Amino acid sequence: MRSITPVKNVLKDTFSFGDFPLIERIGFVAFLIFVLVFPWIVHGSFLRSIMIRFLLFSLYGLGWNLIGGYGGQVALGQAKNVGMAAYATAIMITWWNIPFWATLPAGIMVSVIESLILGYFLFRLKGYYFAIATLVVALVWKDLFIFWDWIGGARGIELPLKETPTFLYMMFDSSIYYHYFIFFFFIGAVLYMNWFRKSKLGYQLQAIKNNEDAAASLGISIRWTKVKAYCITAAMAAVGGCFYAVYNYYVDPRSVMQLDLSILIAMMAMVGGAGSMWGPIIGAMLLIPLDRFLGVWLGGKGFVGADFMIYSAIIMVIAAFEPKGIWGIIERIRRR
Amino acid sequence: MLLTQVIITGILVGFVFAFVALGLTMIFGVMKLINLAHGEFLMIGMYIAFWTSTLLSVDPLITLPLTAVGGFLLGGLSYYFLIRHILRGPTLAQLFGTFGLMLFLRYGAMFIWGVDVRVIKKGILIGKSFSVYGFTVSVSRLVTAAFSLFFFAIIYWMINKTKLGKALRATSMDPIAARYMGINTENMNALAWGMGGAIAGVAGGLLSNFYYINPTVGMLFSVIAFATVVLGGLGSIRGALLAGLIVGLVEALVGQYISIELKFTFLYLLYFFVVVFRPQGLLGWGES
Repeated sequence: MRSITPVKNVLKDTFSFGDFPLIERIGFVAFLIFVLVFPWIVHGSFLRSIMIRFLLFSLYGLGWNLIGGYGGQVALGQAKNVGMAAYATAIMITWWNIPFWATLPAGIMVSVIESLILGYFLFRLKGYYFAIATLVVALVWKDLFIFWDWIGGARGIELPLKETPTFLYMMFDSSIYYHYFIFFFFIGAVLYMNWFRKSKLGYQLQAIKNNEDAAASLGISIRWTKVKAYCITAAMAAVGGCFYAVYNYYVDPRSVMQLDLSILIAMMAMVGGAGSMWGPIIGAMLLIPLDRFLGVWLGGKGFVGADFMIYSAIIMVIAAFEPKGIWGIIERIRRR
Repeated sequence: MLLTQVIITGILVGFVFAFVALGLTMIFGVMKLINLAHGEFLMIGMYIAFWTSTLLSVDPLITLPLTAVGGFLLGGLSYYFLIRHILRGPTLAQLFGTFGLMLFLRYGAMFIWGVDVRVIKKGILIGKSFSVYGFTVSVSRLVTAAFSLFFFAIIYWMINKTKLGKALRATSMDPIAARYMGINTENMNALAWGMGGAIAGVAGGLLSNFYYINPTVGMLFSVIAFATVVLGGLGSIRGALLAGLIVGLVEALVGQYISIELKFTFLYLLYFFVVVFRPQGLLGWGES
């Protein structure tokens, strides 16, 4: 008979960060306090929007880290999950006036079911074949959404503005609410990942990453484990997508299903350090502000494209000299 | 009547896709690495043809050797400054290394030449077409197809019949054993990159005769080339030619009979089904 883990142990695994070195725990708490008080210190809407974007992309990155970092499967099509969930929320709110909190599970369900079906086929593949197949799947979905007139086609969907701020629809007149709203999801994702890395599925996934044949010989179902992880990643991207729909008031295939988004998600986790707890957060912390500031600063001077050149140079250097990302560099320094 | 015309167009386009895929499959064949920046090499080739045509009034056809040299240098330099280092890392790092290169070239082109869409207006082949039995054939596409076939023949001969090709194949099969046999695998890898780049450059030079030029044009050709290469079997040269023709036909037929907007979507779907149910591609694994 299958033993069920007591709730007490699950809670302990979720909330205990005891196996991290003291300095990391202190750093993380300091970071949380900083984010918590951030909207009270900073009032500029540009800086606040960067912070929200950073939290959103950390959420995506934490999710991607599950399949890409712990699982070692280069899944490049996360934008499709973001997009589907964003569309689910946008459609349900706009057409049927359903509250946000009811559209959230619906958005997650759509992405997870799609990932379950496709994942079953996709995980027949490995390595480059898998990576390019996921990329192609995301492209097909984007084309279909552009083509699909019923859901607005290329024009997208504009969400109706509510007259008064409402928690039911999560629509507010100040970005401070959105800040805590996404922060709430972010904390959820961090706690989930903290549980995940100590869970059975987490260990199975890491075993598969290290040696598939050895993992299979231990009785781990390779394909099923990968599909499960793929679905969890999809669910986390979907949460971000639902948030994006009510935050941006507008979704269209170009903003939520773009190839660039798929790649950016994976890239941030990779630059920060895939397969480590803090890697994706560090990656987003570095790249999102860099992206925004360089874009504004250089774009304003007429240097179109210079921001991405600097951006890509960093990626190339990281890929060439420290594949474990920034977290790899930090650990290397610490070991000295 | 219309069907035949569509098939002719499809086959001619197919040769172009096969041409682009040839460079990609070469690099993969030798070092088991996918170059995500392949379309950007092509884009640089197009710009070389555009600027020599606009500033020096040289016909794009005459600048082909120049685009080849440009592509070769680009490929070789990329190898020495980047690829050499990322080869040590895991697959993920390799993917992102070439992805970084792709972004760098794309936005570098945007930085230097701006985002404008450019078209070459003057040239021996540009805008010319002739008709046989009532079917229209574009001269520039026909010439591109001929070049494509020519390059396939040359590369096929080189890989299978020459000593250099043998060294390349040895590097592909087992780099360590190849090194013991006195083959400088480092140079072989660089050569594969140079040749892949040169092929992309020439393809770009030919494409500039009938395709618009802008910094983001590479992406579309990259994705089509990935689909083509995997369809044919990664690393297979004959497979790339066959798959290129299939891709061209599918694109033309869907564009004509179903919807012009979905022509690439069907291509991706075709790719997806082939790769899931026959992951080794149409022409098997491991042959060169």
